[in-house]
Amino acid sequence: MSMSSSLPPSTKRRTRHKSAKRSNTNPILRLLPIAGLAAVAVVLMIDVGRMSLAGDQHRDEVCIGEVDDGVIISREQLATFLTIPERDRKARVQEVLQAPYCHLSNLEIRAGVPAERVVYPLAFDPNTWLVVLYEEEEYAGYQFRFAH
Amino acid sequence: MIQSDAPSIRTIQIQQSWQLQPGEIIGGRKIVAGLGEISIHLNGGAVYAPFDGEIQLTDANCVLFSSTNVPAYLFRLCGLNRPIIGEITAGSPIGSGEYLHFAALRRQPDGTWTIVEPAKNILERMLP
Repeated sequence: MSMSSSLPPSTKRRTRHKSAKRSNTNPILRLLPIAGLAAVAVVLMIDVGRMSLAGDQHRDEVCIGEVDDGVIISREQLATFLTIPERDRKARVQEVLQAPYCHLSNLEIRAGVPAERVVYPLAFDPNTWLVVLYEEEEYAGYQFRFAH
Repeated sequence: MIQSDAPSIRTIQIQQSWQLQPGEIIGGRKIVAGLGEISIHLNGGAVYAPFDGEIQLTDANCVLFSSTNVPAYLFRLCGLNRPIIGEITAGSPIGSGEYLHFAALRRQPDGTWTIVEPAKNILERMLP
């Protein structure tokens, strides 16, 4: 398709004229452009299907369940949180950060250990999320997620 | 800012100090998987990113996958031919190969990483 559209107009006219001439002489050749168009349509349909499937998978993870719009964490909360070592109690982290903005879907990353992920937007940069991961009653770690 | 064409290599320290590590040469042959890794026969098939994340080169023909959606964890993938390096979205192919040697690494309080047994659902996300 792209090749055809890149041809100069005069060439396109010539091509059309030649194929029209051929189609008058041979009925089988007359069907060729139709078969070609059908094949292109099938390929396009497959590609579009694949793209839409990929699009569904390509969304970054979002909140599930309730969202508490009022939750943001201050610099002081963040500074205190960052002093808490991994493997400390989940309750210790919750004392500092309080209730989360929302949850991400529950996961199991390590075999047999359910993981819970909670999100806190930063007061001084609400587009940045602090994502905290707990495994049962243990604090496992954190990451900052920046809005794209 | 000066940028190099070659992607940088991320080195991590594994807590378990086993003597035989992937990438080492024994009898003129390279060790392609170490203790604690799961080897999966891909038969030329692809492996896909389980989350939005980043792929970084590490040593011994391996890459590290990290994601802001999965704090405290890294996934190491060895054996892929010409894997994608850089930002990657969930569901995108990372690379393909004959065998994938996979390790899930959990961050320790001292900054090292320890190999843990991955849950099946993580592997299912990567091998749909």
